Amino acid sequence: MSTPTPSPRFEEAAAYLSSAPSLSKVSDTVKLELYGLFKFITTSHSPNSSRPSIFNITGRAKWDAWKQTETTYGDRDGNAEERYLQLARELGWIEGSVQSATQSSTSAVPPATKPGDDDEDIWDDEETTKRHQGSSASMGNTHVSTITEHEEAERIAGTLHEYAVTGDIHGLQAFLQSHPTTDLNEKDEYGYTPLHLASDRGHLPIVELLLAKGVDSTIKDQDEFTAVELARVSEHDDIVAVLEKAAG
Amino acid sequence: MSSVGKEKEKDIAQDHSESEGEDDEQTDEIDHTLPEGSTPSTSSNKKKKKRSKALKALNSLRGGGKDKIPQELVDVVLNKVKTEHGDTVPDANEATVRAALEQMKIRDVIEGKSGIGGKNKKDVGTHKFWGTQPVPQLGEDAPEEDGWIEPSKPSSEVRQEPYPLPKEFVWSYVDLSDDAQLRELWDLLSANYVEDDVASFRFLYSAEFLRWALQPPGWIKEWHLGVRVASNKKLVAFISAIPISVRVRANLLHASEVNFLCVHKKLRSKRLAPVLIKEVTRQCNLRGVFQALYTVGVVLPTPVSTCRYNHRCLNISKLVNIGFTHVPSNMTLARMILIHKVPDRPRLLDHGGLREMEEKDIPQVADLYSRYMKRFGMYLEFNQDEVRHHFLSGRGEGPGSKDSWKKPRQGQVVWSYVIENPKTHKITDFFTFYSLPSTIIGHPKHDVLNAAYLYYYATETALEDGAEEDGRLKKRLEELIGDALIIADQSKFDVFNGLSLMDNVQFLKDLKFGLGDGLLNYYLFNWRTAPLAGMAPVGDVPTGKGIGVVML
Repeated sequence: MSTPTPSPRFEEAAAYLSSAPSLSKVSDTVKLELYGLFKFITTSHSPNSSRPSIFNITGRAKWDAWKQTETTYGDRDGNAEERYLQLARELGWIEGSVQSATQSSTSAVPPATKPGDDDEDIWDDEETTKRHQGSSASMGNTHVSTITEHEEAERIAGTLHEYAVTGDIHGLQAFLQSHPTTDLNEKDEYGYTPLHLASDRGHLPIVELLLAKGVDSTIKDQDEFTAVELARVSEHDDIVAVLEKAAG
Repeated sequence: MSSVGKEKEKDIAQDHSESEGEDDEQTDEIDHTLPEGSTPSTSSNKKKKKRSKALKALNSLRGGGKDKIPQELVDVVLNKVKTEHGDTVPDANEATVRAALEQMKIRDVIEGKSGIGGKNKKDVGTHKFWGTQPVPQLGEDAPEEDGWIEPSKPSSEVRQEPYPLPKEFVWSYVDLSDDAQLRELWDLLSANYVEDDVASFRFLYSAEFLRWALQPPGWIKEWHLGVRVASNKKLVAFISAIPISVRVRANLLHASEVNFLCVHKKLRSKRLAPVLIKEVTRQCNLRGVFQALYTVGVVLPTPVSTCRYNHRCLNISKLVNIGFTHVPSNMTLARMILIHKVPDRPRLLDHGGLREMEEKDIPQVADLYSRYMKRFGMYLEFNQDEVRHHFLSGRGEGPGSKDSWKKPRQGQVVWSYVIENPKTHKITDFFTFYSLPSTIIGHPKHDVLNAAYLYYYATETALEDGAEEDGRLKKRLEELIGDALIIADQSKFDVFNGLSLMDNVQFLKDLKFGLGDGLLNYYLFNWRTAPLAGMAPVGDVPTGKGIGVVML
């Protein structure tokens, strides 16, 4: 793993693609490849969640695409970025034509420490580079189970609240440009405003953008929580600070 | 979805083949892709025929055309999903089932190349080894009668010399009474006891836990079998067995419970595991033990049952943070925390007669255990010494007090509580759970996941007439396990795990357990019996009722 450091060119291409009309015409295959590359470059080389359930077909396809990117590019971040830029050009991006949006929204995750590999090498070093298969004829329960992905209804892509949940700042910006009169305090069917969701999920750039647009930060959700309370529970200190400052 | 057991899918595939002919050419083509070792050497013509029928059906799944997955298959799976999960899988419909079946690569599953959805992948050589062992082979029909596969023999006829190891290694019994050797085993397991290298969690058995698990009454030193590097004596592999009396339907077997097979990561290519299994088998045979019970996450030839993990999240913030669970898109973390909050004080504590189990309870607990467990297809018979060991010996250092539910003791690995009737002083119920933390691999903030696992429990209510039918048993279990959750929460466990066995399905959902992605397969070595009801019912035996064994 390495710290994601997307270059300005990449940021620009991503900003272009987030609102590119040509994107609606490309196949799912290309979209998935773009998604995989984007996550690989901006978040981490491989997905950090478990593979979504088989009923969550979209989520699963995206997860697989991300994983596939890792398989294809390994540690070659440069190549992955080159491929992303190439696809963006094919979809009409011209370098320098887009004002690079806000600084990278991705929080830089510190590189994970590699699990201790400090054992003395007394045997077959060459084998360690091979991909370990399962512990072959294993006995004993060696797989730690975790919660399966819930099969909840997915939010509809391209809505105000979906951008807030996923933290898609470019998507939100493009949405606001094309829908300038949208009510940004609107509650979704579960009683959350976009500010609630972004504060809960920890998407600082979205919170900042919404505050800049003058949203009401005192609205309470179905459990009587305001945005700042949600951010506090989720331990998003940066968002708590921003919201407190906005409240004066 | 994945609770549609592997065996079941095979049946479905076979059933389908009866009604839809395919030409033989395609079948042959697929036959070539079968791993060599997956065809049992003893397979009869009938079996071969069955196998190719299944392949034929599977092949028809792969074939071109718009309707790749036959309608009957989709219908059967869909029904199965609906009956097992009811409305918990709102997205289950024809289209999703169809897509899911395609994604699962069912053929790979049946060939043993992978588990459902490509999970639990392992090398095909594994089945080659199991093809030589006295275990039911994949695809065998259920036996008409229960019994051994290979007869027992006098110890003089058992191979007398250990199986050979590659020349740089030597056999070594690991003496767990010796702190230094216990530490070596702990080191080996905590660094290497993991199934795949994309895992985020790895079991972290404590030293106290290992002693508790591996030294029950009657433990045998030759059954704690290690492999060391000849030159520097480093412990690089391990396998264990403990003596058990396991009831499998009508038969009581003096068997061993095999566990903790672990090979150092750097030696996975040496194929030490089969040698370890053969050597521990030999050691058991020398003691007149010819049957064994073991559990594995992956599918080998051939599970007698499969159970599914369920998780009751307690420390929501941490579990979300480490990726153990996630916030559903229709709620907030704060709401999720509210929903999962448990009370601060066990409900049965003040007037219900709840207290920690004590030495004086052992005879009554043993009696209740044995009557309760008779309700299941397979369970362990415990004498009083074993009950004392399993439920009391792991309670850690320090006195028991009225408030001991608030805080774990030093070195505590098992939590055991009874309900004493205030008037009659009879023990009417008990429940136990144990601690098995996991290392969280490569997380910046958290390094250990504190998990409690539901162990054995029993209640007189289950033995009353009609208690199951009229919901009394369900209600009682919710009270008991509900208090177990509260105690676990007070002891700072992050999650409380339970399998889909015994009576668990009665309370899992209402106590807010969530489905896990882990399955546990149960195996019997050198013993044939029909499948036992685990996460799916078998015949008229309901879910869970086939299995009364909780393995550590």
